[in-house]
Amino acid sequence: MVRRVAVRLGPYVLVLWAALTISFALPRIAPGEPLDYLLGYDAGVLSAEERSAVLAQYGLDRPVPEQYVAYLAGIVRGELGTSVRTGRPVREMVAGRLGWTLALAIPTLVLALLIGVPLGALAAWRRRRRTGVALTATALLLTSVPAFWLGLIGIAVFAAGLGWFPVIAALPLTTSGPVVVLELARRLALPVLTLTVGIAGWMLLTSRAAVEATLGEPYLQLARANGIPERDILRRHALRNALLPVTTNAGLTLGALVGGVVVIETVFSVPGIGSLMYASVLARDYPTLQGAFLVTVAAVIGANLLADLAYPRLDPRVRRSGR
Amino acid sequence: MASTQLIARGPGKATRRHASLVATLLLVAACGSSTPSDAPASGGTASEGAAGSPTATDPAATRGPVTAASLTIAIPDDPGSALNIYTANQQFDPLIDLVYDKLMGPSPYVDEPQPLLAESVTQVDPSTWDVTVRKGVSWQDGRPFTADDVKFTYEYFRDGIPNRYTHHTNDAPDIASIEATGDRTLRFHCSYPCPELGSVTFADLPILPRHVWESVTEPAKFTGLPIGTGPYRLTEHAGGQYLRFDANDAYFLGKPTVDQLVVTITKDQDATFAALSSGEIGIAARNVPPELIAGLAARPGIRVVSTTPLTSVMLRLNYERPPFTEPRFREALSLAIDRQALVDTILLGQGRPGTQGYPHPDSPWTNPDLSTPFDPGRAAALLDALGYTDTDGDGIRENATGGPISLDLQVTASEPARIRAAELLVGQLNAVGIGLGVRTADAGTIRSLFGSRDFDMYIDQGFAHELADPDQFIESNRSGLAWRAGLAYPEWDRLVAAWEQTTDVEARRAATFDLEALFNRQPTIIPLWYPNESWAFRPDAYDGWSETRGYGIVNKWSFLPADARAGRIARTFD
Repeated sequence: MVRRVAVRLGPYVLVLWAALTISFALPRIAPGEPLDYLLGYDAGVLSAEERSAVLAQYGLDRPVPEQYVAYLAGIVRGELGTSVRTGRPVREMVAGRLGWTLALAIPTLVLALLIGVPLGALAAWRRRRRTGVALTATALLLTSVPAFWLGLIGIAVFAAGLGWFPVIAALPLTTSGPVVVLELARRLALPVLTLTVGIAGWMLLTSRAAVEATLGEPYLQLARANGIPERDILRRHALRNALLPVTTNAGLTLGALVGGVVVIETVFSVPGIGSLMYASVLARDYPTLQGAFLVTVAAVIGANLLADLAYPRLDPRVRRSGR
Repeated sequence: MASTQLIARGPGKATRRHASLVATLLLVAACGSSTPSDAPASGGTASEGAAGSPTATDPAATRGPVTAASLTIAIPDDPGSALNIYTANQQFDPLIDLVYDKLMGPSPYVDEPQPLLAESVTQVDPSTWDVTVRKGVSWQDGRPFTADDVKFTYEYFRDGIPNRYTHHTNDAPDIASIEATGDRTLRFHCSYPCPELGSVTFADLPILPRHVWESVTEPAKFTGLPIGTGPYRLTEHAGGQYLRFDANDAYFLGKPTVDQLVVTITKDQDATFAALSSGEIGIAARNVPPELIAGLAARPGIRVVSTTPLTSVMLRLNYERPPFTEPRFREALSLAIDRQALVDTILLGQGRPGTQGYPHPDSPWTNPDLSTPFDPGRAAALLDALGYTDTDGDGIRENATGGPISLDLQVTASEPARIRAAELLVGQLNAVGIGLGVRTADAGTIRSLFGSRDFDMYIDQGFAHELADPDQFIESNRSGLAWRAGLAYPEWDRLVAAWEQTTDVEARRAATFDLEALFNRQPTIIPLWYPNESWAFRPDAYDGWSETRGYGIVNKWSFLPADARAGRIARTFD
């Protein structure tokens, strides 16, 4: 049993270590250093001792191998260091931003799955009819529209124009108690819907391709021969067997949403992980970048692990081959 | 011996087309906003004197309240910290200035700053100043402000962990000692004459409370909310989201005119102006791009005003790398650039060509006779005299070893106006036989070039501290920005030696002018243009705006009563 778990988790641990090492190395390889942000052009008048004194506040005066060891040891202890840009503990900053990101990512993924998967199955089922062609064409169009552009149009029409939603998500809350949830939902509705449009399109295309691949399978012909209604064949047999690629896609999408929606966060002023990462890149804020990367990597790996664990439940063939 | 006493009494085309299209769409959509244009917007809650229906064409008709219960301000960037002056960079100075005061005010960028936390400052001899601090001032936590806080601040900056003020206490000027000479009086001694201490240094450094900072050994990690003597106290900082300021009703220059300021971080330009149109914010604290000015000004309920910023978009040259090591080449480069064409094409006329040199022509410390004209004929003659001629007929000159005079220009990828400028510069320099290649990079990489020195030229923007603070001009020629200390430059060194010996402020100004004249004859920084600056706000939310040179209109003086502004600020818009 232990061996099985180790075999299953081993590659994930290896990937995590590699990703953490890359996230440590990349910012340091990039041109520039934190002093450029902290002191700007005044950094040029500092003596070597003065430079060390400034960097020592963040442990960045030590040799790089020593910083690397301290970084890995810090992760084990749950310490991510201090942000160069803000002076605050990185753990605290990342935790503050993660809530916003998850508030965007999870509803987006759920909505995209609820909309995209059934419509994709329908598109495959009726692939030679108008419905299938129209659904596929619409999905292709929606996935081609840049999210930031869609977001700006959404702001123009639904926020600035009709006044249904606010333009800025991150203003101080004006309500308290349980109503806060409704207030936040109103603020995040437009960015979530904007993201959902494109991702639902992807889900539709994935689901369509997966269902289409099952259509010629003998078990579907057998089901028809047994007189099972078409709707049940689609739902219980075709779609069920198409869930593996959809699950993989959902896992990858969740990982990407955690760190990769900086444009939407920018357009709607949502203070998530993506915008934190962007600001940290510009400031060469190594500790914060490392912390933000860690969360993103953990999200991607975690989502894939979940997908991996879900496969045997979704497909008995995987379960049997795993034994 | 001179004695001075001051006594207390203020893109690429496609990108731009796209931006304009989206912005126009946003503005058009906003015209159908559910927020009535003649009702106070939620971006501000007026408490008195709301105007009638405003129109865009008659500013008088848009006059709104000059006091308000709250006002929402959108800023484009996140200060990161709770305005810790060790980590918040200079673009956040207007916000820092809400919380902290200086001995003199409003800033070092005006001709004659007036005493603020000081009651009086007096130059005793060329290297000595006496300061009497104001009586009856309290910190925002109720503790009394004293002369000891001033002494502590200057020594903390000078001797502690370095920050951006350090070299203004230990180099230009070099404050050797500060002694308490009474309960409210201090004596500053400099190691060499410091006649500008009263009008520049004292107007530059914010004063910190000793009781808060004396135990802080790692100031960059200080995360507490700041305590100052200023008109606003920062009461909440939600990282990446907003800052909330509450008025300090006991402020020594009078009760602030707006009770609460909410400063929200809104990075996207189009979304910001949409929020202004819908009334979510009362002012966008960012420059209105030229292509949006007319559309915003025509929008009912929005007013656009122009100010004179102390900024410049400039070429920074690597004077340590040939051919820039040759002063006449740098001069030729400056002469080859048609700055008027840049302003006409890129800024649609909304700016001034950089023909009045470096630092900024509107600074009281800039030589008014500086001139950096467009003269391609003279540029070509200088290049000929240097022996750079086109030997292979390809239109690009070669040096003595036959290598082409081909330069590399780096530009920030997120700045379309600068990219367009780089494109135009290719043609202008080619016209005098200089080859130019353009590369783009992220803002962090461009910022790092100063330290790595891995560049020929890059386009950058300079701000008030670099362009209007005369001590910073000296520092920039030591830090590597404009020249590096230790790099031979006898003519400069001779003028600096003379500058150091000047004993009164006018003599120091004249010595600074001499240095600037030399600098612009063989520049290592070439201004391309001095931008105009426009601000869009909703007069129905708040209409008490005033300009402080170098700080725009979102500054503390806009939130102070009229008698506090008198004599200290450049212009009011109310």
